[in-house]
Amino acid sequence: MHWLEEHWLGVSLILMGGGVWWLMPRSWQLPRIIGLITALAGAYLMSWGIKSVGGDLGDTVMFWVFATGAIACAILMITNRNPVYAALWFALATLNVCGLFWLEAAPFLAAATVIVYAGAIVVTFVFVIMLAQQSGATAYDQHARQPLLATLAAFLVLGLLLGMLRDANPGDVLVAKAQSPGVTANLLSQPAPGKTLDDDTMRGLGRSLFGDYLFAVELAGTLLLIATIGAIAIAPRRSRGTL
Amino acid sequence: MTGEVERYLVVGAALFVLGALGFFTRRNLILMVLSAELMLHGVSLTFVTFGRMHNSFQGQSFTIFILTVAACEAGLALSLILALYQRSKTLDIDFWSELREPGLPSPRLAEEREARDLVAPPPLEFPHLAPAGHVPDLEDEFGKLVDDARSPTADTPLEPPEPRELVKSVTK
Repeated sequence: MHWLEEHWLGVSLILMGGGVWWLMPRSWQLPRIIGLITALAGAYLMSWGIKSVGGDLGDTVMFWVFATGAIACAILMITNRNPVYAALWFALATLNVCGLFWLEAAPFLAAATVIVYAGAIVVTFVFVIMLAQQSGATAYDQHARQPLLATLAAFLVLGLLLGMLRDANPGDVLVAKAQSPGVTANLLSQPAPGKTLDDDTMRGLGRSLFGDYLFAVELAGTLLLIATIGAIAIAPRRSRGTL
Repeated sequence: MTGEVERYLVVGAALFVLGALGFFTRRNLILMVLSAELMLHGVSLTFVTFGRMHNSFQGQSFTIFILTVAACEAGLALSLILALYQRSKTLDIDFWSELREPGLPSPRLAEEREARDLVAPPPLEFPHLAPAGHVPDLEDEFGKLVDDARSPTADTPLEPPEPRELVKSVTK
């Protein structure tokens, strides 16, 4: 156990990367459940090593449920051979991420993400997949490109991120900040006096968006308009009656 | 709250890396864009966590802008993918590696090219209808009907025509 405490980062990265590599689509099929369980075990070991101290029990249980769902759905999405199933796994991953948003005192963001992603983006993508791949399974979905090298590179990046997180220890940063507040956010972006982030979410988010970031909101609206026009201009006409 | 935020950051980092991995390994144009959206999820989760760490709504505001840009990106990406699809009739990203300069080797490995050639497209299948009884006899005499019913040839169901012949006759 002592050895594991020393090397939890490497072990967890190897476990998770090996599991994901196991699940990658290739010409032979390995039993998928083994890879998924290995990858999830690596992910659990990862957060065990970060030494997270739980809040209250309900939040902790909900966090584990949503985090497991998000990571499992993400793994299944990037390794599924059927693009329609992959899009549906992505929708499930989105729902789990929205659960995490909810736990982090961002209910408006959770609702907006469900509406925009699961309601609009995924549906459009599934439509395009079904229009474009009417003949069924295609060869290029059955073979991942460079599975070993890509997995190595990706989990090297994850290892760097987690190592940085372990060394930086954001909890200590918070404590230091509470003792000597330096640069603080704009007053409009902070919760009202006497209230916390969790009490005051909707009102505070509205004040932040339409007070502190009003100009950016206008810019984002213009961006949406331009993107709509651009999408209509780029999208091909139906010349021969087909897609 | 101290000590509680790191686990959200771990999930955000894992989602980001998994999205990047999907972007590297998938060869379907649409799934590559979806993997990029997964990376955006990881970044959004990290932003919300940072905002919560600093007790301000700036993280959530930023995530709403990410949502806006993601919606724009998805719309533009889909119209671009449709435009590419209309030219190539495939969603394979490797098709567009033909755009490279002349004289350069193909980015695809030899085994990948062989693998593509090995996989045959699934054969066209028509639904098989169950034969429903024998051909009705249109003659009036009752005795002949009974004879036909007793004869072995009448009991054999009508063979459905071969699907390929149907296709040929239709296309002709």
